[in-house]
Amino acid sequence: MSGYQDKIKETAKRLLKEGSVEMVIGFRKGTLPMMNEPCFIRRPEDVHQLVWDSNCGINLANYLTDRKEKIAIVAKGCDSRNIVTHIIENKIKREKLHIIGVPCQGMVDKRKVAALCAGDIENVTEDGDVLTVTCQGAEKKLSRKEMLQENCTLCIHRNPVLFDELVGEPVAEQTGIDRFAEVRRIEAMESQEKWQYFEDLLAPCVRCYACRNACPLCYCPTCFVDESKPQWVGKSQNPIDIRTFHFLRAYHCAGRCTDCGACERACPMGIKVRQFTSKLNKDVLEMFGWEAGMTLEQRPPLDTYKPNDPNDFIK
Amino acid sequence: MNLMEHMGIEPGRLQFSWISSAESTKFVEVVKDVTSSVKALGPNTTYKKQAVKVA
Amino acid sequence: MKVITIDKKGWASGIEKTKSAFQVFGPVKEKEWHSFKALGPGEQPDMAYSNTRISPKFLVQPQSEPMFTYSLDEAVEDHHILKEVRKDTAPKAVVGIRPCDAAAFLIVKRNFDAPQYQDPYWLNAYNAMTFIGFACNTPCSTCFCTSAGYGPFNEAGLDVLLVDVGDSFVAKSLTDKGDTWLKAGGWTSAADASGKIEALMQAAEAKITSNVSTDKLKTRPTTQIYEAPFWDDVAFSCINCGTCTYSCPTCWCFDIQDEARGTSGIRMRNWDSCMFPMFTIHGTGHNPRGAKVQRVRQRFMHKLKYYVEKYDNGIQCVGCGRCIRLCPVNIDIRKVCNQMNDYDPAACVCPA
Repeated sequence: MSGYQDKIKETAKRLLKEGSVEMVIGFRKGTLPMMNEPCFIRRPEDVHQLVWDSNCGINLANYLTDRKEKIAIVAKGCDSRNIVTHIIENKIKREKLHIIGVPCQGMVDKRKVAALCAGDIENVTEDGDVLTVTCQGAEKKLSRKEMLQENCTLCIHRNPVLFDELVGEPVAEQTGIDRFAEVRRIEAMESQEKWQYFEDLLAPCVRCYACRNACPLCYCPTCFVDESKPQWVGKSQNPIDIRTFHFLRAYHCAGRCTDCGACERACPMGIKVRQFTSKLNKDVLEMFGWEAGMTLEQRPPLDTYKPNDPNDFIK
Repeated sequence: MNLMEHMGIEPGRLQFSWISSAESTKFVEVVKDVTSSVKALGPNTTYKKQAVKVA
Repeated sequence: MKVITIDKKGWASGIEKTKSAFQVFGPVKEKEWHSFKALGPGEQPDMAYSNTRISPKFLVQPQSEPMFTYSLDEAVEDHHILKEVRKDTAPKAVVGIRPCDAAAFLIVKRNFDAPQYQDPYWLNAYNAMTFIGFACNTPCSTCFCTSAGYGPFNEAGLDVLLVDVGDSFVAKSLTDKGDTWLKAGGWTSAADASGKIEALMQAAEAKITSNVSTDKLKTRPTTQIYEAPFWDDVAFSCINCGTCTYSCPTCWCFDIQDEARGTSGIRMRNWDSCMFPMFTIHGTGHNPRGAKVQRVRQRFMHKLKYYVEKYDNGIQCVGCGRCIRLCPVNIDIRKVCNQMNDYDPAACVCPA
């Protein structure tokens, strides 16, 4: 991974120097362990700030929306799929982008690591598959693979699908992954049990909208929850209003979600918000054979009509 | 509809139909169908906003 | 001022006793984090906790709070009249609140209890509270209370300060309310532990290694900081969610909404956040803080400049570190505070 970092810096420097882009969007080292901060670099002399490790889970496509500059962007597999979606949806122009693709081996879930450490985590370093965590003065070695975000363990598109250059050889894609085991577990429940499951899931929600705002798909000028004429959703902590926000947000992502996990990662309360989008991802795959952001050549199934579209639900 | 049922709305409570203005017979049938199946399910107890409790 | 020792063996039974005089709130672990909850019979505060994920400000200012009810039905006698919602003002004890969170209420009080206007909802709720503080023997790495003007053993805003000295808690009563609470628990044995407390306090303060500089915030011209070139860089990663403001113990902003059902309704107020575009949008459609960078700047300017100037009582931050720990993109108020404090336009080499 450190090889990636050098290559990213080198590429960024070259692009800025030759003036082919005005800015590079990437990550810089954060102030906390396991946190990197999205940043932009405009001057070749600042590229030293750029970092790459297993803490770059934020989806950078979110920072491209409606930007007009010529931009180079560092993109993992999922980021690149969201860039494709952005291009299809006219939120950015392909020719304005130079995509620095990063073959990805999954991002670390800092909550998984924190759960294994009593007290504050002081430092985390990584070397290959070994994470060395310093917690209350004691060092602990953890397997990086076991600490990945859930969506990364289920990812089958680690390599960028759209890029101008890659910073390393493509990585082997994971095969034989059961991506929807969790969805099926809920599908098997009775209605009442399902209702209760989501009731408990959403109980800690404070409506900070971090899930929505971390998502590259959520770029509406005014979100339906913020509309006041008419007001579709109440603004209080009423559990029905909270649920309405969550499932409607998910519907708006149907056929567009790349399961990048940004929503779940952003949630300050640790709510597994992907439980909504995963169901839709499964349905879209089963009904339309569609995975979002894989190609610029085809319109997404939910903005096109085909005579053989599944319509069993219509009586 | 799938996601609605996935999060706990009982199957049958939410239904979709496409009826042309010329299909009066179908309209009647669908209304009857929907009414009887929703009646069989009983009142909606879950997805229903309760009035705010004031102390 | 009374100093009482509470043997940990007599702690749980004492807490049970206080429940006859107070509704008791305490830190309870649910899933992976702690939050303040009302404690039922037999329920105990988890005194092994570090701090709650979301600040306890909701005990005084609930996220959604009904203020009035009304009816527009002309058949009802008092239709078209806003009726104030009655509040429960029975005594409440918040056991185990951290000194930073209790001090935060004093900051918020400046807003809700101003000489000209008093907010009855906030004040009545606040006045019903007895804050039983719990000194931090092991502060977190993100704590910077000492340089924010507070500290792990800070007593401001507390009625009692509890210090964990091993087998017992030393309880320093700071107010009459504190005396009442200690009496309700049946704790009376006087302690002489000032030396011990002092030593623990110094040890705790020494563990706080992160800090902010605030000395120049007051004197720097507002426009100078406002127009500083670093805001684009600070704001870039921000996703404009409400995590920082909602988890913050000193953010007080709210939005008033009517929730109508048919002809009757409830006027309530909900937390709002300066991070949201809707926060400032005008009826005309114009939004004076329409861009993300303006909103991010506003949050920091309010806490670290406007507040400082208006009240001349330090920054609007107690250094609890929640916004740092919870921010999805790692925007760090310590870094921004230092940038604002140290910004010198004369020395600035602006990017080309």
